Parts: sequence; structure tokens; C-alpha cells
Amino acid sequence: MAQLIDLADVLRSKNAGALLVTLDLIFENEDTYRKVRDSGVITPELIATRYGVSQNEVTIVPYDVAYAIKITIPRLYISGQFGDSDIYGAQQHAPLIDIEIPD
Amino acid sequence: MKPPLRALATTGLLGYGYTEEAFHRAVSLGLDFIAADAGSMDPGPHYLGAGIPFVTRTAIKRDLSFMLDAAIEQNIPLLLGSAGGGGSAPQVAIVRQVIEELAAEKGHHFKMAVIHADQDNETLKEANRAGRIQPLGPIDDLTDESIDETHRVVAMMGVEPFQKALNDGAQVVVAGRATDASIYSAIPLMRGYDPGLVWHMAKIIECAGQVVSPRTGSDSVVGTLNEDHFLVEPGHPDKRCTRMKIAAHTLYENPSPYYLEEPDGTLVTIDSSYEQVSDRVVKVSGSRFEPSKRYTVKLEGVRAGGFRTVFFAGVRDPILISVIDEFVATCHKHVANEAKGLGISPDSYRLNIKVYGQNATMGPREPMKHATPHEIALLADVTADNEDLSRAVMAKARFALLHTDFPGRKCISGNLAIPFSPSDIAVGPTYEFNIWHVMEINDPLKPFPIEMVEV
Repeated sequence: MAQLIDLADVLRSKNAGALLVTLDLIFENEDTYRKVRDSGVITPELIATRYGVSQNEVTIVPYDVAYAIKITIPRLYISGQFGDSDIYGAQQHAPLIDIEIPD
Repeated sequence: MKPPLRALATTGLLGYGYTEEAFHRAVSLGLDFIAADAGSMDPGPHYLGAGIPFVTRTAIKRDLSFMLDAAIEQNIPLLLGSAGGGGSAPQVAIVRQVIEELAAEKGHHFKMAVIHADQDNETLKEANRAGRIQPLGPIDDLTDESIDETHRVVAMMGVEPFQKALNDGAQVVVAGRATDASIYSAIPLMRGYDPGLVWHMAKIIECAGQVVSPRTGSDSVVGTLNEDHFLVEPGHPDKRCTRMKIAAHTLYENPSPYYLEEPDGTLVTIDSSYEQVSDRVVKVSGSRFEPSKRYTVKLEGVRAGGFRTVFFAGVRDPILISVIDEFVATCHKHVANEAKGLGISPDSYRLNIKVYGQNATMGPREPMKHATPHEIALLADVTADNEDLSRAVMAKARFALLHTDFPGRKCISGNLAIPFSPSDIAVGPTYEFNIWHVMEINDPLKPFPIEMVEV
């Protein structure tokens, strides 16, 4: 077993507009990318649980050409709305770091 | 065979800078046009609301100086989109003024188009009633009332207003809010290049230095269009573009790397291929553009969000840290009572107290809810209908946080390490996005009036 923080070369979050936050997992090589993509671990169900959103609010897109998996969910608040703590959405990836991927 | 068309994306954001070395080398390659995106909504709603850039005027002037000189010397167009950050009238006016100032200093003369992107509430209400405005994600539908609340709203133009300005003889185009890729697609589409390649190249180069390694600051990127492919390379001779970075770029800030929406269609990158042709140049082909039946523009609008005062303080007392949630809840109650005592209505202000070191960054999404740090910080945030109210509520909040008892309290002279004097920081008026929608229009030029100026 290995955790995503150790497998991914890039593990980041960022606004996709003012309403959504998008999480990118980018892997250094095709083998690691395929291992994670095909593990069946990264599912809307898991992301919904980790972020407290509903499954139908989660989109997951594997992007083979860049060895990347993209996950998009709604922001907790609209960017800059009263209560928001992360205007750029750049620190919302922590719930992904300890996801375990079987060897 | 079409001759190659070469475009320079000077910087990812006008005012973020670029190296002179990269810029001059790019110019020496022979360019068809020079451009820069000047906008982003990333810094949040304040800048559109206040009508100011989030970079300094000094930085904008520095970036424009070389660009304007090169455009005039080479007799090629200079295009700027989303001027001033949000691309609204006061922001566009600042960039226009900087250009006029530079022209006067350097003795440049040219024809300039200034394209406006501000939308008026009545037009939006009409479009909304006709069902032509839809939310662009999880946000409320618009109503006459919510449109009336709007302080400032812009629409994002496509390529057509740029093209009209150029056809009317403009050499310099200062556009209000525009899609990033439209800035770079306008000229190549006029010259008949393949729309799939044009939009994809535009999308990649608009963030300029982001696709360049090593990434030290912001820098220039050159895109070269050919009939069946395009090339991307850094302006700087010692920097590189890599296949993986170029391919990964469509991931950035988009929900899907395969489908990228533009006003008149969708860039589809499913069949795009990326090839490293030298250690610094990447070749892309296979991208396509699927025209849409409807022409849609994105709307971005803000309403007033109240006057903000913030207060920040550290807590090092382990007993207080161990009961911090209950303590914050107690303070909220005290503040509500005290505000009532001052005759302040509960609907006229909002108070939020965040606990840094616990869950301030992620709130309910924080996975490590029960960690116990040795030090935390409290951030109190008040917005209220006016500045006096905002300060009055914050003064009560500060007092409550500093002096309220908690179970087991021993630090009875004060609960907080306050790092500043004055401790309460009034930020002034704030804004909130209330419009993040898409509007269907018939005429891509109508919402974007063009002003022609002889400089």
C-alpha cells in the first residue's frame, strides 16, 4: 500500500471559477498513473465522503496524456463570500493525501 | 501553404512581469502580434467591485513599456484582454491611461480601440426574463431583485470585438473582460488558421510562463501556428517547454482537460497529440473546435458585501486551546448581547471567528478535526452595513475574546497574544459574487461597445 502523497508528483487544488474547486493528481510516470487510475479507489463515493459533498457533485476525469486525474467538486463557499477561507482554492487538497492505493 | 503565424504571450498576467531577455529574443523571431491577458477572477470579488487592479500601476507600466515599443517598431498589433484585472470600465480606464502616458513619453502615435465589457442591469433583466441567462455552476438563478443588487457586472467577450477593432484599423486593442483564449485567437482566426489549433494554442500560451521550466517568476512564451500543428516555446533561450507540461496545461483551472468552452463552441483535445521536437519546443496537433449553435458569454458580477473589520490574535494557553470550540461559541453569545445593548440589529452585521491551527482553512471539510496543536490563532471577521457598525461589533468581539472566562482559566489577565496596535483592522467595503452565469446573445458585438482613439 502507498499513499497518494507519495505516489503523486503534483497534488494540488485550485479554483475552477468562483464556484468550483478542482483537484489535480499528476504522476511522474505512466505505471504509477495506471496503478492509481485502475485501482478503483478514486471514486465519486470516496471523494464525496472525504469532502462531505454528495456523489453527484463530484466529477472525476482521468487524463492519460498528462498522467493525471482531475477531480472537481463545489467550493465550500463561493470565492470571497463571507466565511470563505481560501479565495484561490489552493489549499483544499489535504483530504486526498492519505488515500491508500494497493500495490 | 500558409506562412507560419507567430504570437507572443508576454506574461501570464499584465503586471506580473517577464524577463527582457525572453521578450527581446521573442521579438527577434519575427512576430505577427504581441498580447497579454491582464485579468483573473482568482483574487476574488474585491477588485471587480472596487474597480482596481490587483497588480500595481508601476508594474503594469513596466510590462507595457517594452510591449508598446516593440509593437510600434515592428508595426504589429498589441492586444490586451481583461484590462485592469476584472475588465470593468474603471479598470480598463487605468490601463488606457498608462498606454496614453507611455505614448506621450515615447512619442508613439497609433490608433487604439478601447472595448467595454460592462453590462447594464436593465439589459440583464430583460435577458433573464427571456430565459437567456443560466447559472454557471452551483449559484442561485438571477431575479430582478438580485440583478438590482448588483454593484458591477461584466460579460466576457469572444474574438469578434477584437476582430472588429482590428478591421477598423486599431493597432492597439485594450479590451475589457475577455476570455483568455480570445485575445490570442482573434488574429489567427481572421487569417484562416484551423480553429481547433488556434483555440488550443491560445489556451496554452495565455498563461505564458506557467508552461515554461524552470518556473522562476513569470515569463514570455511564443506560439507558432502552422496549417496542421502548432509549436510552443519559451521566449527565454535558457528555458524549456516540455511535452508533459504543455499537455497538463489544459488541466489547469478547468473541470475537464478535454472540453474547453468558448463563446461560440468547444475546444476538444481528446485527439490532441503532444510531441517534444527539441529540448525546448513542443509540437501539438489533432485538436479540434466544435462550433456551438448558441453564442454565449459568461457574466461576472458582484454586489456589496458590507464593511469589513478583521482581528487576528494568537493563543498559547493549553487550557484555552483544549476548550476552544466552546469558548468561541460563548464569545459569539456575548457579542450578540453586547451588540444588542448598543442598539445594533442582528441583521446589520455578521461575525465569523475562525480557529487557525484547527480547521480555519477547510472548515467542515477538515479531515484532522481532533488534532491538538500547542498554538492556535483566532481570526475574527466582521462585516456590517457601515464602517462604524463594523468597528463597533469588532470592538465587542475583541473584548469578548480577550476577557471571557472559560472552565479552568488561569490566564486571567488576557486570553490572547495580540500582535498589532491598533488591533482591529478596518478593510473598508467588500463585495461578493452574485453573478456567475452565462448569457445567450445573438450579436457577439452588441454587449461590447468599441471606442476608437487616436493616440
